[in-house]
Amino acid sequence: MVLLKIDDLKVHYPIRGGVFKTISDYIRAVDGVSFELKEGETYGLVGESGSGKSTIGKAILKLINMTSGRIVFNGQDLSKFSFGQMKPFRQDIQMIFQDPYSSLNPRKRVADIIAEPLRNYQCLTVGEEKKCVQNYLDKVGLNPDSMYKYPHEFSGGQRQRIGIARALTLKPKLIIADEPVSALDVSVQAQVLNFLQDLQKEFKLTYLFIGHDLGVIRHMCDKIGVMYRGRLVEEGISEEIYENPQHIYTKRLIAAIPELNPERRAQKTELRKKIAKEYEQLYPEYFDEHGRAYDLKSISNTHRVAMP
Amino acid sequence: MKADAVKNVQLADRSPSGIKIIWQEIKKDRLALGSFYFLLIFLASVYIASFMIDQKAIARVDIFSIYLMPSDAHLLGTDYAGRDILGQLIFGTSNSFTISLCITILTALMGLCAGLIAGYFGGIVDNVIMRVIDFIMSLPSTMMIIVFVTVVPKFTVTNFIFIMSIFLWTGKARLIRSKTLAERELEYVQASQTLGTPHWKIILYHILPNISSVIIVNFTLNLAGNIGLETALTFLGFGLPESTPSLGTLISYARNPDVLENKWWIWLPAAAIILVLMLSINFIGHALKRSADARQRRG
Amino acid sequence: MWKFILRRFLVMIPQLFLLSVIVFALAKQMPGDALTGVSMDPRISPERLYELREKAGLNDPWYEQYRRWISGIAQGDFGKSYTHKIPVSEVIAERIWNTVFLALITLILTYLLAIPMGIASGRFNDTWIDKVVTGYNYLGFATPIFIFALIMLFVFGFSLGWFPTGGSVDSKVDAGTFAYYLSKLHHVILPALSTALIATVGTVQYLRNEIIDNKYKDYARTARSKGIPETQIYTRHIFRNSLLPIAAFLGYEITGLVGGTVIIETIFSYPGVGQLFVSSIGLRDFSVVTAIVMMLGFATLLGTLLSDIILSVVDPRIRIE
Repeated sequence: MVLLKIDDLKVHYPIRGGVFKTISDYIRAVDGVSFELKEGETYGLVGESGSGKSTIGKAILKLINMTSGRIVFNGQDLSKFSFGQMKPFRQDIQMIFQDPYSSLNPRKRVADIIAEPLRNYQCLTVGEEKKCVQNYLDKVGLNPDSMYKYPHEFSGGQRQRIGIARALTLKPKLIIADEPVSALDVSVQAQVLNFLQDLQKEFKLTYLFIGHDLGVIRHMCDKIGVMYRGRLVEEGISEEIYENPQHIYTKRLIAAIPELNPERRAQKTELRKKIAKEYEQLYPEYFDEHGRAYDLKSISNTHRVAMP
Repeated sequence: MKADAVKNVQLADRSPSGIKIIWQEIKKDRLALGSFYFLLIFLASVYIASFMIDQKAIARVDIFSIYLMPSDAHLLGTDYAGRDILGQLIFGTSNSFTISLCITILTALMGLCAGLIAGYFGGIVDNVIMRVIDFIMSLPSTMMIIVFVTVVPKFTVTNFIFIMSIFLWTGKARLIRSKTLAERELEYVQASQTLGTPHWKIILYHILPNISSVIIVNFTLNLAGNIGLETALTFLGFGLPESTPSLGTLISYARNPDVLENKWWIWLPAAAIILVLMLSINFIGHALKRSADARQRRG
Repeated sequence: MWKFILRRFLVMIPQLFLLSVIVFALAKQMPGDALTGVSMDPRISPERLYELREKAGLNDPWYEQYRRWISGIAQGDFGKSYTHKIPVSEVIAERIWNTVFLALITLILTYLLAIPMGIASGRFNDTWIDKVVTGYNYLGFATPIFIFALIMLFVFGFSLGWFPTGGSVDSKVDAGTFAYYLSKLHHVILPALSTALIATVGTVQYLRNEIIDNKYKDYARTARSKGIPETQIYTRHIFRNSLLPIAAFLGYEITGLVGGTVIIETIFSYPGVGQLFVSSIGLRDFSVVTAIVMMLGFATLLGTLLSDIILSVVDPRIRIE
């Protein structure tokens, strides 16, 4: 069943110039992106910084105003709603933020941070609320007694767990994870990722996983969309993307994954050089005269590529 | 010393109330602490005295004791109408301080509303508010206040407070806006939005506490500045109406060269009180500012 | 950059318009108009008075009156002074140069005091020099100008008698001679110094923080690691970066001075525009008051404009298109 369907989403920012600050052009942060998320799966959005992947996540939650397009969640068209009208739907869509340091208000105790959504949607007694907070702290592997501490008393990984607990309290259906581990030490990353997978099973969550680390994305995602300059250039299940990339940009991206085996490093360097050359030569075939990727075309049931 | 500072910071971070943090900061600075106790005692005695003394007796003209030097009967002498200087000082101090406090509170409220709204919502709202602020800031405010004071049909203390506030809220609004803007970029604001917290709650319960230290520092320094401004305007004759004597009223007698040159007891004590008040409030304000700005922190 | 300057100019037009509307509205609120004196005269009947008012255009709708008033100002016609019986522009012309002279000397003194103090305390921060300057800053920041000026006048004017206690020039010297200009300077020093000693505090503080900031920046460290002598790092790199914004604040400084003239000129009985403003309000000569507010309002707008433009030239980051 399709949980979230994004249809031709565009987010444009005007560029103003001249004496009267008239709009001379637009920055097309997201420029006509369409994809679907099925219930229970993890969809990964990859791309370099500035490719518009985070913008999509924020547009779904109306943290950023979209220019046009449709966002259908559970059969409801969210794009028509205003920020305030979104409130009932926010229970079902939650977000995990990139930076565990700035995403927790430094002046609030953990109990207040985790209970914030509960106070907005449910009228619980003090006792019930406390129980609920302790329950979720326990779920994310933190000591329930730590609910009266402040965020700065925790490590980065622990803070991210607090952020996750906060997102879980309303029992959402969809969680948008905006580079949830990129601010963490590599040693903690795997821990948090595995933990997210465990939660997915337990709460039957659907993830929209945004990231730039290809290794992390492969580990996490069932389906992957590759973004470049505000457009999707290729989409498919993980295996298709990693083993059989079709678009020249995807090929280059996959080739950029570091090789761990030292004996094959020279070989890998050769491959990279070859692909870089190919990229230069074939660029006009994959992008139109404005450097914009073409619309996606299906080449198999699950695999779509931006080709002319 | 260092360990002590770390301990203090932790304590400050732990305590949820802003008052406690402020107290921590003031206690670290001996000059500020001294100023604080001095202010407390000085103002308390002035306010108590102003309740006990009969204002009418002070305001009574006594032509037999004009321009008396300080003596036992009149501890600080008398003015051109034979009125006791000490009594006028007490009423002047309490009036000046109360009115400056009112102006500071009013401008703080106006600045907070405008600054928080402009900084949080941005866009057109921000643009409109900022254009208004830019315009008011580009007016010659001292002159404008004087003209308003002369033009206003019924000149009362309340009117004076309002007129002053119209021209004095803008700097605060600008400061608060820039701080709100910076705070708004942090992800916890977006997190609150996704959690379904309404805008007004985010502004009041999340952003405001995080910028409170800046607001408190600004409030303190403004309070001192407003005392100076109010007394200066009264000195020129455009401040408080005559029924409400201010410290500036006493100093304004010095506009008469004879008083300035030969009758120092009339204006000098009032000038000294203003200086001492402003200095001690400033010492407190600067101690708070140092704590808010790590670069200037002591120790 | 030209775009920025042009746009900044365009922004000033509505500001100027708004200023004039506000001043006009205030002028209308002021008691009395050109015919107040006439209406007191018992020999003139109410009908005749009405006729006179009609003729003077005082019964026209406000926008009509505003149009007439503003086009008069554009041609330098501010109406007639009620007390001086001559055109307002002449009354002001007599005083304006005194004010400009005072402002100029104040500005020069302010910078003369600020730059050495700021540089010394910034470069040698946490030494005794810095402590003295910082202490002075505390006091200066907390002292209101009018009290400081009064004390200066009391000490140096009356008690010690080093400086004159009023006026702008000695009446005994002939205009145009060297002694005349010397006397003018003698009269202006005390008020200018009183203002400058207080007004300089903000600039000193800014300069000090700027220099301390720049001192530890990577570019200064790089220069140091290349073995450039410390003095040269300061003269070639740090001062340049820290002093330019100070130059740009010139315009804002003018804006601040405009407010200060009213107080300073009153205290030192210095016959400038600020003193004229206060005395005209006392005399209820509102055509002069309106003209001064309009003029100094314009000066303030120009001051901010000047600073914004210099700042945009000095600091490219400000002119984001």
